[in-house]
Amino acid sequence: MAAPNMSVGKPTADRLPCNTTSFQKKSRSKLVSIPGTRPSIQNGQLIVSTGVTSLDYVIGGGLAVGTLLLIEEDRYDSYSRMLLKYFLAEGVVCGHELYVASALDHPNDILQELPAPILDDIASPKTVEDQAKSCDPESQDAMKIAWRYQHLPKVQTALASSSRFGHYYDVSKTMDPEICQAARCHGFYLPEHSTAVTSPTATGQSPMPETYSSLLNNLQEVVHREGFDGSVPQTKSRNILRIGLHSLGSALWGDDLCCRENPSHGHALTTFLYGLRAMLRSSLSVAVVTVPSHLIQNRALMGNVTRLCDTAIALESFRGSERETNPLYKDYHGLLDVRQLPYLNCLVCDLPDNKDLAFKLKRKQFTIERLHLPPDLSETVSRVSRGELTGTAMVGSSGCGSGSTGNRHLDF
Amino acid sequence: MLLEVLQGTEAGGFILIQDSVNYCGRHLLKSCINTALKREEVVHVLGFEVSQEELNDGLDRTSAQRLHFHNAYSDPLGWTGNSPFTVHQFTLEDIGTLLKQTPQAKAVTLVIDSLSWILRHHDPAAICQKLQALKKGGVVRAVIGLLHSDLHQRGTVGSICHLATSVITVAPGTRGLGAVAKITRRTKSGKLMQDEEIFSINEDLTVTIQSKRSHPGSTPMNTDESEVDPTANLTFNLRLSDTQREAKEKLPLPFVFSKEKKSALLHPGTGSGRILYEPDANDDYDQEDPDDDLDV
Repeated sequence: MAAPNMSVGKPTADRLPCNTTSFQKKSRSKLVSIPGTRPSIQNGQLIVSTGVTSLDYVIGGGLAVGTLLLIEEDRYDSYSRMLLKYFLAEGVVCGHELYVASALDHPNDILQELPAPILDDIASPKTVEDQAKSCDPESQDAMKIAWRYQHLPKVQTALASSSRFGHYYDVSKTMDPEICQAARCHGFYLPEHSTAVTSPTATGQSPMPETYSSLLNNLQEVVHREGFDGSVPQTKSRNILRIGLHSLGSALWGDDLCCRENPSHGHALTTFLYGLRAMLRSSLSVAVVTVPSHLIQNRALMGNVTRLCDTAIALESFRGSERETNPLYKDYHGLLDVRQLPYLNCLVCDLPDNKDLAFKLKRKQFTIERLHLPPDLSETVSRVSRGELTGTAMVGSSGCGSGSTGNRHLDF
Repeated sequence: MLLEVLQGTEAGGFILIQDSVNYCGRHLLKSCINTALKREEVVHVLGFEVSQEELNDGLDRTSAQRLHFHNAYSDPLGWTGNSPFTVHQFTLEDIGTLLKQTPQAKAVTLVIDSLSWILRHHDPAAICQKLQALKKGGVVRAVIGLLHSDLHQRGTVGSICHLATSVITVAPGTRGLGAVAKITRRTKSGKLMQDEEIFSINEDLTVTIQSKRSHPGSTPMNTDESEVDPTANLTFNLRLSDTQREAKEKLPLPFVFSKEKKSALLHPGTGSGRILYEPDANDDYDQEDPDDDLDV
């Protein structure tokens, strides 16, 4: 997937802190490993972290270098923008180069809003393993009947892998400008790059949007100039280019894909993605693209766009929809759907075992968890929400169990 | 929240009023213009749909000199050749020249009545780009637009709403009350606020909020008819009195251990199950494995 004359060797220099084995593979090539990357345990590809450890786990360990991640935006573009910022922040912390393109905000504004990394990695927020170990019997309410199961770990709903890869970020603070300055960033702000404003004809037909081709040319030029495609002889150490493209396909890019059911140039975005993916395959770069798919009316076109990307996930936020009041979803901020995972030099890909995933943006972590229904403990057929199980009164409660009071403990 | 949006003082804002054929949003638009005039702002109106007299009807007379109406109603497409404003002049440069007519460069609010007219004659993607440029350019402080949502495709309406910082969707109210407004507001920090209110517009174009509608969609699940309670009218007693309940809870269950025994079983101590063997003289305690010499 990366440049063809590069072979992947296990990094012997940097060890991950909680690696359980002391096995060291004999590496034959004298390859300087790129910081912030590691070989995937599934297929040996060089992968980078997306900045969100839960998302890394869901898409199979991380994002392979040379591939494209498509994020279908939620309705008000809040969480997809957050994921893009996590991706760029991870690039700053790992020392990669960044390329940001946007038609809505200036790339410098986006770079100033990056979340601050929590640099004390040892005292990282409680992972799931810590939570399982730290339950002492006095603090828990002791079980009367099933006390032998008291010390077993709880069902792990949060998805995490055993080894640490990637960093945690604090959303309430922005990244220090000094850290941000240390990273090299290239920006593409569409209003600065647009050529002569094409005046539409009287019939309203727009000519072919030049915006995508100018973006692709600019990107190709940056990749070639900085040597990510192997053109410049590597005197300095190799690095990865992280490309973040915000809200492609929206009307601000001059494309009427979102406005019309039969867009006049429906192939513009797909041609761009095809060219982008070809360029990614031959260079040491990784790209994240967000698309406002809720505005695209043509489902066939959306299917084409998904096919042309390697990994595709879709976010659906509960904000503003009727699901916000559904008691089932009250802990989460939205649903995450993995639409496509790539087959990179292998026959099968590692699909997550559970397709019902929900996400929650906390201050220090963006968690993706398995969505599971609470057990049905009601005396009637109707489902009892989790709120009722804890004894709080809720509006939609059914009138079941007239004999019992608010508590619904099972009486033996 | 409707009143806050109408006061709407943040710079770079784009307020979109979305109406349909069932309820006309122009009264709300005029109320917006009135509030802006009362705030000592200069208001430029691009009028495509109604004439100047009809729009000025009911507006505050005293601040009429701050209101500039650009007549695109009489000849929007420029057929007569000398039209004051045509729909093709909706570009950043032309609007800039229009606004330079007012020398004092205070806060300028641009009101577009209506966006639907422009969307029918221009490419929607180009309109979005121009609106974004207007928002960001600093030429105007706020843009207020009226959009008839049933005249366009869903994608077009969605794209324009995506650009707006506040969207007010008006619909006729049920049960003879005022109209219903659904408001969605996005702050600069990315926070989203939503609300639904019933309002009515008075004679002097001020808005009164009648009530906040309770959140729709949560229908009470209490059935109307009371369920028949099967535990009533029985010959045997299914309930426990308080003393009986206490006695029941005090009863020790058969396999419940005391706390010490439980913790002893949960945390097995060291040396609980070791085998100590001391071979005596007769035992042939050979350390080697007898299978070692098998040639397998």
